[in-house]
Amino acid sequence: MADLVLEKLRKSFGAVEVIPSLDLQIEDGEFVVFVGPSGCGKSTLLRLIAGLEEATSGDIRIAGQSVVSVPAADRGVAMVFQSYALYPHMTVRENLSFGLENIRMSREEIARRVEAAAKMLQIEELLERRPKQLSGGQRQRVAIGRAITRDPKIFLFDEPLSNLDAELRVLMRVEITNLHERLGNTMIYVTHDQIEAMTMADKIVVLRKGVIEQVGAPLELYNRPCNMFVAGFIGSPRMNFVSGAIAEATEAGITFQAPHLPPLGVPAMAGKVRAGEQVTLGIRPEHFVLSNDGNGWPLQITIAEQHGANSYLHCTTPGGAPILIHEAGQSRIGRGDVLFAQPRMDQLHLFDAEGRRIELGESEADGRLGAGLP
Amino acid sequence: MSAATRLTGALATLAALPARVVEPLMHGLQKLLGIKRMPWVFLIPNLTAVLLFSLLPVFINIFYSVTGSDRLFPLDRPYVGAANYETLLDCRDYLDPSTCSRDLFWRALGNTLLFVPVQVAAMIGIALLTAICLNRDIRGRGFFRGIFFFPVMLSPVVVALTWQWILQRNGALNGLLTAIGLEPINWLVLPDAAFFWSVFVTVWAHMGFFTIILLAGLQSIPRDVYEAAKMDAASPWRVFTRITLPMLKPTLLVVFILCVIRSVQTFDELYVLTGGGPGSATILIVQFIYETGFAIQPRNFGLAAAASLLLGMVLLIFTLVQLRVARGRSYG
Repeated sequence: MADLVLEKLRKSFGAVEVIPSLDLQIEDGEFVVFVGPSGCGKSTLLRLIAGLEEATSGDIRIAGQSVVSVPAADRGVAMVFQSYALYPHMTVRENLSFGLENIRMSREEIARRVEAAAKMLQIEELLERRPKQLSGGQRQRVAIGRAITRDPKIFLFDEPLSNLDAELRVLMRVEITNLHERLGNTMIYVTHDQIEAMTMADKIVVLRKGVIEQVGAPLELYNRPCNMFVAGFIGSPRMNFVSGAIAEATEAGITFQAPHLPPLGVPAMAGKVRAGEQVTLGIRPEHFVLSNDGNGWPLQITIAEQHGANSYLHCTTPGGAPILIHEAGQSRIGRGDVLFAQPRMDQLHLFDAEGRRIELGESEADGRLGAGLP
Repeated sequence: MSAATRLTGALATLAALPARVVEPLMHGLQKLLGIKRMPWVFLIPNLTAVLLFSLLPVFINIFYSVTGSDRLFPLDRPYVGAANYETLLDCRDYLDPSTCSRDLFWRALGNTLLFVPVQVAAMIGIALLTAICLNRDIRGRGFFRGIFFFPVMLSPVVVALTWQWILQRNGALNGLLTAIGLEPINWLVLPDAAFFWSVFVTVWAHMGFFTIILLAGLQSIPRDVYEAAKMDAASPWRVFTRITLPMLKPTLLVVFILCVIRSVQTFDELYVLTGGGPGSATILIVQFIYETGFAIQPRNFGLAAAASLLLGMVLLIFTLVQLRVARGRSYG
């Protein structure tokens, strides 16, 4: 077990800079998820840590030791590949023991470790089969087992669930989380699926174009995204953005004015924004209060998706901007209806013209605002 | 109507012409034969070709092998039974060709039995090594692939003449040896050297073909399996023996079969390069068949036919074994 430090890490492929300069600290035993859209450099970052790619410059330290010039096999990391990368001509047992034979481990110890890993992953009865004879989920388990037998300091997972069907993905998500609980190793997990990130991580690292946008606990990112990119990426369905301007800024609060929408009074600390400033208001679909009394924004329903336990109302503002509203339970509202929706004041996100978060109040102010609402 | 539309119209009529002619014909045939026999109509052209150029020669070959004399016309040839086979197989001591009635047959057979394993082993070994090198991220990879494939495109006679020019007594190689102060060697006159160069030249000429097949096989091995092996601390040798070779096995099998068949059939390069000599040091079975049947007077068609049937039989057995192995693999 070990902590991991990335320091001024740079990677470029020829003239293409994939990771400009990246600093990150991962504590011992943490489950860290790298998340971001495809091409954001998250897999490259993982491969740099694994030693499958050579860093252009910068340092990687595992448990205090620089490993930047250490071969992949000697870094004390094990990787689970997206394609599983099992050896197709070897049995499951041979797949699990190949790495241990390579480091000349004794037969007894290899057998013990393989049995232990197989038992932990419930693949004991599959040991004599070949990968071809296994289902996707079983192959995934074998790939994880191969990592476990090596007893690494750090586990690396490269989008390990993306080849599984939806149901199995949920199951394996839980299994990997349980595995982390049991083993307690540092784990780094790459995904583009923000649900996986939210449900599994101790700490999420949001990446865009090789740059860390934000690092934090899942709910921290959900509650206080530091910019519009993170706000839009974390949370499903994604956050609604309404662009407009500050009409008024006083001690009591600010007034947000969007085209074709009634002005919205937002309680905020004075001095954060000035009147006339262009801003974007972010409201998550689940943070609207619906009303029939004509208070709030008038929104026309274009599609009402009924999921049974939840309803998702796709609406448009009078100006034509799309807004998605989540309503718990089964909605009675249908296509073409007009409803009035008010954003919850304690759950508003305000972003400046560059997309950076504007803090609406201090932490105690958050509490005060939240206390008065249902 | 403009000239262009008229031209288009004329072309359309022309294009429709075959259909206009063929359609009534086919309709007539179908009425005559019934729909169930129609597939034969379409198969007959191909069947005729196969019959005429593959199957018929086999039967002619069998006929010639059981008839005697140097006459070409079949009706002039008397039936001799198994006499040709008896002549070929007549030996007092099978380990000593000089005790056989047709010692050249046995020498050619002996040479072939030595040539084929040596050449196949060298061919596959070198082709595999080349393929592995070409599969790496080296500079000018495309250029080298072209270079190694180039000899495959040369005519066998060109290959042989080129190498003769290099290897003859006052050839390029000896010129080089003399230039650095060594004694020239008469490469094609010394039996062992001639045999070595026979293997060398045929490997050089055909290696590119097998390299390309093996390269395709190597490229079909997923990259991440190698990365997993790298994470698994496998040494380059272990990667080769435990990952590359097992995963290349299907390709290697195909290459092996093709290589053996081609090796047994080797004729043209060596016929021009060494002519089977010195003495009978590099004569192979196909050359024996050719010389017996066509070159040496009197032409002994019957003996050549018998020898080629024996060779065909060996290749048939080998092919059956290959089919068996391939089938066993796909079911297992």
